[in-house]
Amino acid sequence: MLQQNPPLRRLLPIALGGLLVAVLVVASLAVLLYDPSGEAGNRLPENFQYDLSAFQKIDPALIRYRQAAEIPLELKQPRGIAAGREDQILVAGDRAVLIFDSHGKKISQIDLADEPRCLAVAGQDHAVPGRIYVGLKDRLAVFDAADAPPKTWETRGLKAFFTSVAPAEHDVFVADAGNKIVWRYDVQGKLLGRIGDPGPDGNIPPFIVPSPYFDVAVSPDGLLRAVNPGRFQIEAFTFDGFLEQTWGLPGLEISRFCGCCNPSALAVLPDGRIVTGEKGIARVKVYNAEGKFQCVVVGPDVLTPTPAAVAESRDEHRLLPVDLAADRQGRILVLDPAARRVRIFVEK
Amino acid sequence: MDNPPTTPNRRRFLATALRAAGALGLGGLTAGLAAKRGRTGEYVWQLDPQKCIACGNCATYCVLDESAVKCVHSFAMCGYCDLCTGYFPPEPIEQRTGAENQLCPTGAIQRAFIEDPYFEYRILRDRCIGCGKCVKGCSAFGNGSLYLQVQHDRCLNCNECAIAVACPSQAFRRVPADDPYLLKVRGKQA
Ligand code: SF4
Ligand code: SF4
Ligand code: SF4
Repeated sequence: MLQQNPPLRRLLPIALGGLLVAVLVVASLAVLLYDPSGEAGNRLPENFQYDLSAFQKIDPALIRYRQAAEIPLELKQPRGIAAGREDQILVAGDRAVLIFDSHGKKISQIDLADEPRCLAVAGQDHAVPGRIYVGLKDRLAVFDAADAPPKTWETRGLKAFFTSVAPAEHDVFVADAGNKIVWRYDVQGKLLGRIGDPGPDGNIPPFIVPSPYFDVAVSPDGLLRAVNPGRFQIEAFTFDGFLEQTWGLPGLEISRFCGCCNPSALAVLPDGRIVTGEKGIARVKVYNAEGKFQCVVVGPDVLTPTPAAVAESRDEHRLLPVDLAADRQGRILVLDPAARRVRIFVEK
Repeated sequence: MDNPPTTPNRRRFLATALRAAGALGLGGLTAGLAAKRGRTGEYVWQLDPQKCIACGNCATYCVLDESAVKCVHSFAMCGYCDLCTGYFPPEPIEQRTGAENQLCPTGAIQRAFIEDPYFEYRILRDRCIGCGKCVKGCSAFGNGSLYLQVQHDRCLNCNECAIAVACPSQAFRRVPADDPYLLKVRGKQA
Protein backbone atom coordinates (compact mmCIF):
# COMPACT_ATOMS: atom_id res chain seq x y z
CA MET A 1 0.00 0.00 0.00
CA LEU A 2 1.28 3.40 -0.96
CA GLN A 3 1.96 5.65 1.97
CA GLN A 4 2.38 9.42 1.86
CA ASN A 5 5.55 10.46 3.52
CA PRO A 6 5.04 12.85 6.48
CA PRO A 7 6.70 16.10 5.03
CA LEU A 8 4.53 15.90 1.91
CA ARG A 9 1.42 15.54 4.09
CA ARG A 10 2.41 18.70 5.92
CA LEU A 11 3.09 20.63 2.70
CA LEU A 12 -0.24 19.80 1.04
CA PRO A 13 -2.44 22.22 3.05
CA ILE A 14 0.11 25.00 2.48
CA ALA A 15 0.14 24.36 -1.29
CA LEU A 16 -3.67 24.26 -1.38
CA GLY A 17 -3.85 27.49 0.60
CA GLY A 18 -1.38 29.16 -1.79
CA LEU A 19 -3.37 28.00 -4.78
CA LEU A 20 -6.57 29.37 -3.27
CA VAL A 21 -4.95 32.76 -2.64
CA ALA A 22 -3.62 32.85 -6.24
CA VAL A 23 -7.09 32.02 -7.62
CA LEU A 24 -8.63 34.73 -5.46
CA VAL A 25 -6.07 37.32 -6.61
CA VAL A 26 -6.57 36.46 -10.30
CA ALA A 27 -10.37 36.50 -9.88
CA SER A 28 -10.31 39.87 -8.10
CA LEU A 29 -8.04 41.32 -10.80
CA ALA A 30 -10.35 39.98 -13.50
CA VAL A 31 -13.36 41.57 -11.81
CA LEU A 32 -11.52 44.86 -11.33
CA LEU A 33 -10.17 45.02 -14.88
CA TYR A 34 -13.23 43.64 -16.68
CA ASP A 35 -14.88 46.47 -18.52
CA PRO A 36 -17.94 45.21 -20.33
CA SER A 37 -19.37 48.68 -20.90
CA GLY A 38 -16.10 50.14 -22.07
CA GLU A 39 -16.14 52.72 -19.32
CA ALA A 40 -12.37 52.71 -19.05
CA GLY A 41 -12.14 54.10 -22.55
CA ASN A 42 -10.99 52.51 -25.75
CA ARG A 43 -7.74 51.03 -26.87
CA LEU A 44 -7.30 53.11 -29.97
CA PRO A 45 -3.89 54.79 -30.18
CA GLU A 46 -3.73 58.11 -28.32
CA ASN A 47 -3.08 60.00 -31.53
CA PHE A 48 -6.04 58.32 -33.26
CA GLN A 49 -7.72 60.68 -35.70
CA TYR A 50 -11.10 60.12 -37.25
CA ASP A 51 -9.91 59.53 -40.76
CA LEU A 52 -11.79 57.70 -43.48
CA SER A 53 -9.32 58.36 -46.29
CA ALA A 54 -8.19 54.73 -46.46
CA PHE A 55 -11.78 53.65 -47.03
CA GLN A 56 -12.30 56.23 -49.75
CA LYS A 57 -9.91 54.46 -52.12
CA ILE A 58 -11.47 52.01 -54.54
CA ASP A 59 -9.63 49.38 -56.56
CA PRO A 60 -9.76 50.79 -60.14
CA ALA A 61 -10.36 47.27 -61.49
CA LEU A 62 -13.77 47.28 -59.78
CA ILE A 63 -14.90 50.46 -61.57
CA ARG A 64 -16.63 49.28 -64.71
CA TYR A 65 -18.46 52.45 -65.70
CA ARG A 66 -17.19 55.70 -67.13
CA GLN A 67 -18.71 59.13 -67.03
CA ALA A 68 -20.01 59.91 -70.53
CA ALA A 69 -21.49 63.36 -69.86
CA GLU A 70 -22.51 65.75 -67.16
CA ILE A 71 -25.17 68.42 -66.82
CA PRO A 72 -24.50 71.45 -64.59
CA LEU A 73 -27.61 72.48 -62.67
CA GLU A 74 -28.88 75.94 -61.85
CA LEU A 75 -30.40 74.71 -58.63
CA LYS A 76 -29.34 75.56 -55.10
CA GLN A 77 -30.57 72.31 -53.67
CA PRO A 78 -31.10 69.52 -56.20
CA ARG A 79 -33.10 66.75 -54.53
CA GLY A 80 -34.24 64.08 -56.95
CA ILE A 81 -33.58 62.65 -60.41
CA ALA A 82 -35.63 60.54 -62.81
CA ALA A 83 -35.40 59.21 -66.36
CA GLY A 84 -38.34 60.23 -68.55
CA ARG A 85 -39.79 59.51 -71.99
CA GLU A 86 -37.16 59.06 -74.70
CA ASP A 87 -34.54 59.01 -71.97
CA GLN A 88 -35.16 62.57 -70.96
CA ILE A 89 -33.51 63.53 -67.69
CA LEU A 90 -35.62 65.25 -65.02
CA VAL A 91 -34.21 66.89 -61.92
CA ALA A 92 -36.25 68.25 -59.01
CA GLY A 93 -34.91 70.88 -56.66
CA ASP A 94 -35.58 74.33 -55.18
CA ARG A 95 -39.17 74.86 -56.41
CA ALA A 96 -38.90 73.40 -59.89
CA VAL A 97 -38.49 70.35 -62.07
CA LEU A 98 -35.93 70.84 -64.86
CA ILE A 99 -36.36 68.71 -67.97
CA PHE A 100 -33.39 67.91 -70.23
CA ASP A 101 -33.23 65.83 -73.40
CA SER A 102 -31.16 62.65 -73.34
CA HIS A 103 -28.04 64.64 -74.27
CA GLY A 104 -28.45 67.11 -71.42
CA LYS A 105 -29.97 70.05 -73.31
CA LYS A 106 -32.61 71.79 -71.22
CA ILE A 107 -35.98 71.65 -72.93
CA SER A 108 -38.46 72.84 -70.31
CA GLN A 109 -39.15 73.52 -66.67
CA ILE A 110 -42.10 72.99 -64.34
CA ASP A 111 -42.43 75.52 -61.53
CA LEU A 112 -43.72 74.19 -58.25
CA ALA A 113 -45.58 75.82 -55.39
CA ASP A 114 -43.53 73.90 -52.82
CA GLU A 115 -40.12 72.30 -52.39
CA PRO A 116 -39.84 68.92 -54.11
CA ARG A 117 -38.29 65.97 -52.27
CA CYS A 118 -38.34 63.28 -54.97
CA LEU A 119 -39.71 62.53 -58.41
CA ALA A 120 -40.47 59.80 -60.94
CA VAL A 121 -41.76 59.54 -64.47
CA ALA A 122 -44.23 56.79 -65.42
CA GLY A 123 -43.00 54.35 -68.08
CA GLN A 124 -44.84 53.12 -71.20
CA ASP A 125 -46.54 50.33 -69.22
CA HIS A 126 -48.16 52.79 -66.77
CA ALA A 127 -51.86 53.69 -67.06
CA VAL A 128 -50.81 57.25 -67.91
CA PRO A 129 -47.45 56.93 -69.69
CA GLY A 130 -45.08 59.85 -69.19
CA ARG A 131 -46.94 61.19 -66.17
CA ILE A 132 -44.64 63.05 -63.80
CA TYR A 133 -44.97 62.37 -60.08
CA VAL A 134 -43.34 64.92 -57.79
CA GLY A 135 -43.10 64.10 -54.09
CA LEU A 136 -43.59 67.14 -51.87
CA LYS A 137 -43.06 66.73 -48.14
CA ASP A 138 -46.37 65.02 -47.36
CA ARG A 139 -48.20 64.62 -50.71
CA LEU A 140 -47.77 64.01 -54.42
CA ALA A 141 -48.17 66.60 -57.17
CA VAL A 142 -49.06 64.81 -60.40
CA PHE A 143 -48.49 66.29 -63.88
CA ASP A 144 -50.04 64.49 -66.87
CA ALA A 145 -47.86 66.63 -69.12
CA ALA A 146 -45.10 69.13 -68.44
CA ASP A 147 -47.43 72.04 -69.28
CA ALA A 148 -50.55 70.60 -67.57
CA PRO A 149 -51.72 71.95 -64.20
CA PRO A 150 -50.90 69.61 -61.32
CA LYS A 151 -53.35 67.40 -59.47
CA THR A 152 -52.40 67.20 -55.82
CA TRP A 153 -53.11 64.00 -53.98
CA GLU A 154 -54.22 63.80 -50.38
CA THR A 155 -51.68 64.70 -47.67
CA ARG A 156 -50.43 61.90 -45.43
CA GLY A 157 -50.27 64.26 -42.46
CA LEU A 158 -47.76 66.25 -40.47
CA LYS A 159 -45.46 63.34 -39.77
CA ALA A 160 -45.09 62.38 -43.44
CA PHE A 161 -41.77 62.95 -45.18
CA PHE A 162 -41.83 61.64 -48.75
CA THR A 163 -38.44 60.60 -50.07
CA SER A 164 -39.12 58.43 -53.11
CA VAL A 165 -41.86 57.61 -55.61
CA ALA A 166 -42.08 54.60 -57.94
CA PRO A 167 -44.89 54.10 -60.48
CA ALA A 168 -45.79 50.58 -61.65
CA GLU A 169 -48.45 49.61 -64.24
CA HIS A 170 -51.54 50.39 -62.16
CA ASP A 171 -49.95 51.40 -58.86
CA VAL A 172 -47.85 54.17 -57.44
CA PHE A 173 -45.58 53.54 -54.44
CA VAL A 174 -44.32 56.29 -52.18
CA ALA A 175 -41.60 55.90 -49.54
CA ASP A 176 -42.40 57.98 -46.46
CA ALA A 177 -39.37 58.38 -44.17
CA GLY A 178 -41.47 60.16 -41.54
CA ASN A 179 -43.94 57.29 -41.10
CA LYS A 180 -41.34 54.64 -42.05
CA ILE A 181 -43.78 53.06 -44.45
CA VAL A 182 -44.32 52.67 -48.21
CA TRP A 183 -47.76 53.85 -49.31
CA ARG A 184 -49.47 52.12 -52.23
CA TYR A 185 -51.88 54.19 -54.36
CA ASP A 186 -53.84 53.51 -57.54
CA VAL A 187 -53.24 55.87 -60.45
CA GLN A 188 -56.16 58.06 -59.36
CA GLY A 189 -54.53 58.68 -56.00
CA LYS A 190 -56.73 56.34 -53.96
CA LEU A 191 -54.77 54.78 -51.08
CA LEU A 192 -54.71 50.98 -51.56
CA GLY A 193 -52.40 49.86 -48.80
CA ARG A 194 -49.12 50.17 -46.99
CA ILE A 195 -45.93 48.13 -47.12
CA GLY A 196 -43.70 47.69 -44.09
CA ASP A 197 -46.31 46.52 -41.60
CA PRO A 198 -45.42 43.30 -39.75
CA GLY A 199 -47.89 41.17 -41.80
CA PRO A 200 -50.37 38.54 -40.52
CA ASP A 201 -47.59 36.40 -38.96
CA GLY A 202 -45.72 39.42 -37.62
CA ASN A 203 -42.58 38.33 -39.42
CA ILE A 204 -41.94 41.32 -41.68
CA PRO A 205 -39.30 43.50 -40.01
CA PRO A 206 -40.23 47.20 -39.89
CA PHE A 207 -38.34 49.75 -41.94
CA ILE A 208 -35.61 51.43 -39.89
CA VAL A 209 -35.13 54.92 -41.29
CA PRO A 210 -32.79 56.97 -39.05
CA SER A 211 -32.35 59.80 -41.56
CA PRO A 212 -34.53 61.10 -44.39
CA TYR A 213 -33.16 58.76 -47.07
CA PHE A 214 -35.54 55.97 -47.93
CA ASP A 215 -35.76 54.87 -51.56
CA VAL A 216 -38.01 52.53 -53.56
CA ALA A 217 -38.06 51.32 -57.18
CA VAL A 218 -40.14 48.88 -59.20
CA SER A 219 -38.15 46.04 -60.82
CA PRO A 220 -38.87 44.29 -64.13
CA ASP A 221 -39.51 41.07 -62.14
CA GLY A 222 -42.73 42.69 -60.84
CA LEU A 223 -41.45 43.24 -57.30
CA LEU A 224 -41.03 46.48 -55.42
CA ARG A 225 -37.47 47.00 -54.21
CA ALA A 226 -37.14 49.11 -51.06
CA VAL A 227 -34.10 50.06 -49.04
CA ASN A 228 -34.25 49.24 -45.34
CA PRO A 229 -31.37 51.58 -44.43
CA GLY A 230 -31.14 50.85 -40.69
CA ARG A 231 -30.78 47.15 -41.55
CA PHE A 232 -28.37 47.84 -44.44
CA GLN A 233 -30.60 45.81 -46.70
CA ILE A 234 -32.48 45.87 -49.97
CA GLU A 235 -35.85 44.20 -49.58
CA ALA A 236 -38.16 42.93 -52.33
CA PHE A 237 -41.92 42.99 -51.76
CA THR A 238 -44.94 41.90 -53.73
CA PHE A 239 -47.27 44.81 -54.35
CA ASP A 240 -49.46 43.42 -51.53
CA GLY A 241 -46.63 43.84 -49.08
CA PHE A 242 -45.30 40.29 -48.74
CA LEU A 243 -41.57 40.20 -48.17
CA GLU A 244 -39.94 38.02 -50.83
CA GLN A 245 -36.23 38.68 -50.52
CA THR A 246 -33.68 40.59 -48.44
CA TRP A 247 -29.97 41.05 -48.93
CA GLY A 248 -27.19 43.37 -47.80
CA LEU A 249 -24.64 43.56 -44.99
CA PRO A 250 -23.13 46.45 -43.02
CA GLY A 251 -19.45 47.25 -43.41
CA LEU A 252 -16.85 49.33 -45.15
CA GLU A 253 -15.87 46.55 -47.54
CA ILE A 254 -16.82 47.41 -51.08
CA SER A 255 -19.51 44.73 -51.37
CA ARG A 256 -21.20 45.95 -48.15
CA PHE A 257 -23.06 49.08 -47.09
CA CYS A 258 -21.08 51.51 -44.93
CA GLY A 259 -21.91 53.80 -42.01
CA CYS A 260 -24.90 53.77 -39.68
CA CYS A 261 -27.71 53.51 -42.27
CA ASN A 262 -27.28 52.78 -45.94
CA PRO A 263 -27.86 52.56 -48.88
CA SER A 264 -29.44 55.97 -49.23
CA ALA A 265 -30.45 55.63 -52.89
CA LEU A 266 -31.62 52.90 -55.21
CA ALA A 267 -32.35 52.46 -58.93
CA VAL A 268 -33.13 49.46 -61.11
CA LEU A 269 -31.50 48.89 -64.52
CA PRO A 270 -33.69 47.64 -67.41
CA ASP A 271 -32.25 44.12 -66.98
CA GLY A 272 -33.18 44.02 -63.29
CA ARG A 273 -29.76 44.74 -61.79
CA ILE A 274 -29.82 47.02 -58.77
CA VAL A 275 -27.84 50.26 -58.47
CA THR A 276 -27.18 51.54 -54.95
CA GLY A 277 -25.87 54.84 -53.62
CA GLU A 278 -24.30 55.27 -50.17
CA LYS A 279 -23.99 58.33 -48.00
CA GLY A 280 -20.90 59.06 -45.92
CA ILE A 281 -18.43 57.31 -48.17
CA ALA A 282 -20.14 58.23 -51.42
CA ARG A 283 -20.07 55.22 -53.68
CA VAL A 284 -22.43 54.00 -56.38
CA LYS A 285 -22.40 50.26 -57.03
CA VAL A 286 -24.20 47.62 -59.08
CA TYR A 287 -25.54 44.31 -57.71
CA ASN A 288 -27.41 41.56 -59.51
CA ALA A 289 -31.08 41.10 -58.59
CA GLU A 290 -30.11 38.52 -55.93
CA GLY A 291 -27.68 40.91 -54.24
CA LYS A 292 -24.34 39.71 -55.58
CA PHE A 293 -21.94 42.63 -55.85
CA GLN A 294 -20.90 43.24 -59.46
CA CYS A 295 -19.01 46.48 -59.81
CA VAL A 296 -18.55 50.13 -58.87
CA VAL A 297 -20.00 52.90 -61.00
CA VAL A 298 -18.32 55.83 -59.28
CA GLY A 299 -16.68 56.43 -55.93
CA PRO A 300 -15.67 59.13 -53.47
CA ASP A 301 -12.77 60.37 -55.62
CA VAL A 302 -15.39 61.91 -57.93
CA LEU A 303 -18.34 62.43 -55.58
CA THR A 304 -16.48 63.99 -52.62
CA PRO A 305 -15.02 67.46 -53.26
CA THR A 306 -12.21 67.01 -50.68
CA PRO A 307 -11.32 63.99 -48.49
CA ALA A 308 -12.14 66.09 -45.39
CA ALA A 309 -15.69 66.70 -46.64
CA VAL A 310 -16.62 63.17 -45.56
CA ALA A 311 -16.58 63.90 -41.82
CA GLU A 312 -17.62 67.55 -42.12
CA SER A 313 -19.47 68.60 -38.97
CA ARG A 314 -20.86 71.94 -40.20
CA ASP A 315 -24.35 71.25 -41.49
CA GLU A 316 -24.06 73.75 -44.33
CA HIS A 317 -20.97 71.96 -45.63
CA ARG A 318 -22.03 68.39 -45.10
CA LEU A 319 -22.00 66.09 -48.06
CA LEU A 320 -25.53 65.47 -49.29
CA PRO A 321 -26.15 61.95 -50.61
CA VAL A 322 -26.55 61.23 -54.31
CA ASP A 323 -29.85 60.31 -55.93
CA LEU A 324 -29.99 57.75 -58.73
CA ALA A 325 -31.98 56.81 -61.81
CA ALA A 326 -31.45 54.46 -64.75
CA ASP A 327 -32.75 55.04 -68.27
CA ARG A 328 -33.91 52.57 -70.94
CA GLN A 329 -30.42 52.44 -72.50
CA GLY A 330 -29.00 51.27 -69.19
CA ARG A 331 -27.26 54.56 -68.51
CA ILE A 332 -26.92 55.37 -64.81
CA LEU A 333 -27.88 58.92 -63.90
CA VAL A 334 -26.22 60.17 -60.72
CA LEU A 335 -27.46 63.39 -59.16
CA ASP A 336 -24.42 64.82 -57.39
CA PRO A 337 -25.76 67.55 -55.08
CA ALA A 338 -22.29 68.56 -53.84
CA ALA A 339 -21.21 69.45 -57.39
CA ARG A 340 -24.75 70.49 -58.36
CA ARG A 341 -24.67 68.42 -61.51
CA VAL A 342 -25.98 65.28 -63.11
CA ARG A 343 -23.34 62.74 -64.03
CA ILE A 344 -24.24 60.22 -66.74
CA PHE A 345 -22.43 56.89 -66.61
CA VAL A 346 -22.18 54.16 -69.24
CA GLU A 347 -20.52 50.76 -69.08
CA LYS A 348 -16.85 50.78 -70.16
CA MET B 1 -53.64 52.19 -37.87
CA ASP B 2 -51.05 54.81 -38.61
CA ASN B 3 -47.87 53.19 -37.39
CA PRO B 4 -46.19 49.83 -37.10
CA PRO B 5 -46.75 48.28 -33.65
CA THR B 6 -43.33 49.18 -32.37
CA THR B 7 -43.87 52.86 -32.99
CA PRO B 8 -46.10 53.93 -30.08
CA ASN B 9 -43.45 52.81 -27.60
CA ARG B 10 -40.81 54.57 -29.56
CA ARG B 11 -42.96 57.66 -29.91
CA ARG B 12 -43.52 57.71 -26.18
CA PHE B 13 -39.84 57.19 -25.61
CA LEU B 14 -38.92 59.99 -27.99
CA ALA B 15 -41.32 62.40 -26.33
CA THR B 16 -39.79 61.57 -22.97
CA ALA B 17 -36.31 61.89 -24.40
CA LEU B 18 -37.09 65.30 -25.83
CA ARG B 19 -38.54 66.52 -22.58
CA ALA B 20 -35.55 65.16 -20.73
CA ALA B 21 -32.95 66.45 -23.18
CA GLY B 22 -31.99 69.36 -20.98
CA ALA B 23 -31.37 67.07 -18.08
CA LEU B 24 -29.57 64.32 -19.99
CA GLY B 25 -27.26 65.17 -22.87
CA LEU B 26 -27.28 68.82 -21.92
CA GLY B 27 -26.75 68.22 -18.24
CA GLY B 28 -24.12 70.94 -18.01
CA LEU B 29 -26.48 73.25 -19.72
CA THR B 30 -29.00 73.13 -16.92
CA ALA B 31 -26.31 73.56 -14.33
CA GLY B 32 -24.69 76.35 -16.34
CA LEU B 33 -27.95 78.17 -16.83
CA ALA B 34 -28.59 78.04 -13.09
CA ALA B 35 -25.08 79.33 -12.44
CA LYS B 36 -25.54 82.26 -14.80
CA ARG B 37 -29.02 83.31 -13.75
CA GLY B 38 -29.29 87.01 -13.10
CA ARG B 39 -26.38 87.94 -15.35
CA THR B 40 -28.40 89.87 -17.91
CA GLY B 41 -26.23 92.19 -19.97
CA GLU B 42 -23.07 90.13 -19.51
CA TYR B 43 -21.43 88.05 -22.19
CA VAL B 44 -19.72 84.65 -22.15
CA TRP B 45 -17.86 82.50 -24.67
CA GLN B 46 -19.64 79.92 -26.75
CA LEU B 47 -18.79 77.95 -29.87
CA ASP B 48 -21.10 77.83 -32.85
CA PRO B 49 -21.69 74.18 -33.85
CA GLN B 50 -22.44 75.35 -37.38
CA LYS B 51 -18.87 76.63 -37.64
CA CYS B 52 -17.00 74.03 -35.56
CA ILE B 53 -15.05 71.47 -37.60
CA ALA B 54 -14.29 69.26 -34.55
CA CYS B 55 -10.54 69.79 -35.02
CA GLY B 56 -9.60 68.57 -31.54
CA ASN B 57 -8.22 71.91 -30.25
CA CYS B 58 -11.07 72.29 -27.78
CA ALA B 59 -9.68 69.36 -25.81
CA THR B 60 -6.17 70.75 -25.57
CA TYR B 61 -6.22 74.56 -25.65
CA CYS B 62 -8.57 75.36 -22.75
CA VAL B 63 -6.73 76.90 -19.76
CA LEU B 64 -8.39 74.31 -17.54
CA ASP B 65 -6.74 70.91 -17.15
CA GLU B 66 -9.98 69.32 -18.21
CA SER B 67 -11.53 71.41 -20.96
CA ALA B 68 -14.68 73.43 -20.33
CA VAL B 69 -15.87 72.20 -23.73
CA LYS B 70 -17.83 68.99 -23.78
CA CYS B 71 -19.98 67.06 -26.15
CA VAL B 72 -23.76 67.41 -26.04
CA HIS B 73 -26.37 65.34 -27.82
CA SER B 74 -29.48 66.53 -29.62
CA PHE B 75 -31.85 63.62 -29.07
CA ALA B 76 -34.33 65.19 -31.47
CA MET B 77 -31.84 64.85 -34.32
CA CYS B 78 -30.45 61.42 -33.42
CA GLY B 79 -31.41 58.34 -35.43
CA TYR B 80 -30.97 56.03 -32.38
CA CYS B 81 -28.92 53.78 -34.68
CA ASP B 82 -27.69 50.39 -33.59
CA LEU B 83 -24.45 50.96 -35.48
CA CYS B 84 -23.85 54.54 -34.28
CA THR B 85 -20.78 55.93 -36.02
CA GLY B 86 -20.31 58.44 -33.20
CA TYR B 87 -20.00 55.57 -30.74
CA PHE B 88 -18.19 52.93 -32.81
CA PRO B 89 -14.95 53.51 -34.74
CA PRO B 90 -15.11 53.06 -38.53
CA GLU B 91 -14.35 49.35 -38.28
CA PRO B 92 -15.48 48.09 -34.86
CA ILE B 93 -14.20 44.67 -33.89
CA GLU B 94 -17.66 43.81 -32.65
CA GLN B 95 -20.93 45.70 -32.32
CA ARG B 96 -20.76 45.60 -28.52
CA THR B 97 -20.08 48.08 -25.77
CA GLY B 98 -16.60 46.76 -24.93
CA ALA B 99 -13.88 49.40 -24.75
CA GLU B 100 -12.08 47.99 -27.77
CA ASN B 101 -15.15 48.78 -29.88
CA GLN B 102 -15.51 52.41 -28.84
CA LEU B 103 -14.47 55.55 -30.64
CA CYS B 104 -14.51 57.76 -27.52
CA PRO B 105 -11.06 57.73 -25.88
CA THR B 106 -12.49 58.14 -22.38
CA GLY B 107 -15.60 55.95 -22.54
CA ALA B 108 -17.78 59.04 -22.15
CA ILE B 109 -20.65 57.78 -24.29
CA GLN B 110 -23.14 55.45 -22.72
CA ARG B 111 -25.06 53.17 -25.07
CA ALA B 112 -28.42 51.91 -23.83
CA PHE B 113 -30.83 49.58 -25.58
CA ILE B 114 -34.28 51.10 -26.03
CA GLU B 115 -36.16 48.65 -28.23
CA ASP B 116 -35.19 46.61 -31.26
CA PRO B 117 -33.19 48.01 -33.05
CA TYR B 118 -32.92 51.40 -31.34
CA PHE B 119 -30.20 52.53 -28.94
CA GLU B 120 -29.84 55.73 -26.99
CA TYR B 121 -26.47 57.45 -26.62
CA ARG B 122 -25.83 59.68 -23.61
CA ILE B 123 -22.77 61.74 -22.87
CA LEU B 124 -21.26 61.13 -19.44
CA ARG B 125 -20.20 64.72 -18.93
CA ASP B 126 -17.60 64.09 -16.27
CA ARG B 127 -15.65 61.84 -18.60
CA CYS B 128 -15.88 63.91 -21.78
CA ILE B 129 -12.73 65.84 -22.69
CA GLY B 130 -14.23 67.61 -25.69
CA CYS B 131 -11.99 65.91 -28.25
CA GLY B 132 -14.73 65.90 -30.89
CA LYS B 133 -13.99 62.43 -32.28
CA CYS B 134 -17.58 61.35 -31.80
CA VAL B 135 -18.72 64.57 -33.48
CA LYS B 136 -16.73 63.63 -36.57
CA GLY B 137 -18.02 60.06 -36.56
CA CYS B 138 -21.62 61.16 -36.22
CA SER B 139 -21.19 63.79 -38.94
CA ALA B 140 -19.55 61.40 -41.40
CA PHE B 141 -22.49 59.02 -41.67
CA GLY B 142 -25.22 60.08 -39.26
CA ASN B 143 -27.42 63.06 -38.59
CA GLY B 144 -24.84 65.29 -36.87
CA SER B 145 -26.64 65.10 -33.54
CA LEU B 146 -23.43 65.06 -31.43
CA TYR B 147 -21.70 68.42 -31.12
CA LEU B 148 -19.56 70.49 -28.77
CA GLN B 149 -20.53 73.30 -26.40
CA VAL B 150 -18.68 75.33 -23.76
CA GLN B 151 -20.15 74.26 -20.42
CA HIS B 152 -20.80 77.33 -18.32
CA ASP B 153 -20.63 75.63 -14.97
CA ARG B 154 -16.94 75.02 -15.80
CA CYS B 155 -15.85 77.84 -18.09
CA LEU B 156 -13.86 80.65 -16.38
CA ASN B 157 -14.99 83.15 -19.03
CA CYS B 158 -11.40 84.23 -19.64
CA ASN B 159 -10.99 87.67 -21.17
CA GLU B 160 -9.33 86.02 -24.13
CA CYS B 161 -10.52 82.44 -24.51
CA ALA B 162 -7.46 80.32 -25.31
CA ILE B 163 -9.48 78.03 -27.52
CA ALA B 164 -11.03 80.92 -29.44
CA VAL B 165 -7.51 82.07 -30.31
CA ALA B 166 -6.55 78.58 -31.51
CA CYS B 167 -9.81 77.77 -33.25
CA PRO B 168 -9.16 77.29 -36.98
CA SER B 169 -12.73 78.05 -37.99
CA GLN B 170 -13.57 81.11 -35.88
CA ALA B 171 -16.33 79.17 -34.20
CA PHE B 172 -16.07 81.01 -30.87
CA ARG B 173 -18.03 84.17 -30.13
CA ARG B 174 -19.48 86.10 -27.24
CA VAL B 175 -23.08 85.34 -26.40
CA PRO B 176 -25.42 86.78 -23.75
CA ALA B 177 -24.83 85.16 -20.35
CA ASP B 178 -28.53 84.61 -19.84
CA ASP B 179 -28.76 82.68 -23.13
CA PRO B 180 -25.32 81.07 -23.29
CA TYR B 181 -25.82 78.00 -25.51
CA LEU B 182 -25.94 77.69 -29.31
CA LEU B 183 -28.05 74.61 -29.76
CA LYS B 184 -28.42 72.58 -32.91
CA VAL B 185 -31.94 72.02 -34.07
CA ARG B 186 -32.23 70.25 -37.41
CA GLY B 187 -29.45 69.30 -39.78
CA LYS B 188 -29.29 70.28 -43.42
CA GLN B 189 -30.42 66.83 -44.46
CA ALA B 190 -33.89 67.04 -43.01
S1 SF4 C 1 -15.32 61.24 -28.22
FE1 SF4 C 1 -14.41 63.09 -27.26
S2 SF4 C 1 -16.02 64.66 -27.44
FE2 SF4 C 1 -17.01 62.67 -27.81
S3 SF4 C 1 -17.81 62.05 -25.81
FE3 SF4 C 1 -15.77 61.14 -26.01
S4 SF4 C 1 -14.37 62.63 -25.05
FE4 SF4 C 1 -16.32 63.70 -25.45
S1 SF4 D 1 -12.95 80.91 -21.78
FE1 SF4 D 1 -11.21 79.98 -20.72
S2 SF4 D 1 -12.14 78.32 -19.51
FE2 SF4 D 1 -13.67 78.95 -21.00
S3 SF4 D 1 -13.42 77.53 -22.74
FE3 SF4 D 1 -12.16 79.34 -23.17
S4 SF4 D 1 -10.12 78.87 -22.34
FE4 SF4 D 1 -11.58 77.37 -21.45
S1 SF4 E 1 -11.20 74.75 -31.77
FE1 SF4 E 1 -12.91 75.48 -33.02
S2 SF4 E 1 -13.10 74.01 -34.72
FE2 SF4 E 1 -11.77 73.07 -33.16
S3 SF4 E 1 -13.16 71.79 -31.94
FE3 SF4 E 1 -13.04 73.79 -30.88
S4 SF4 E 1 -14.72 75.04 -31.75
FE4 SF4 E 1 -14.44 73.26 -33.08
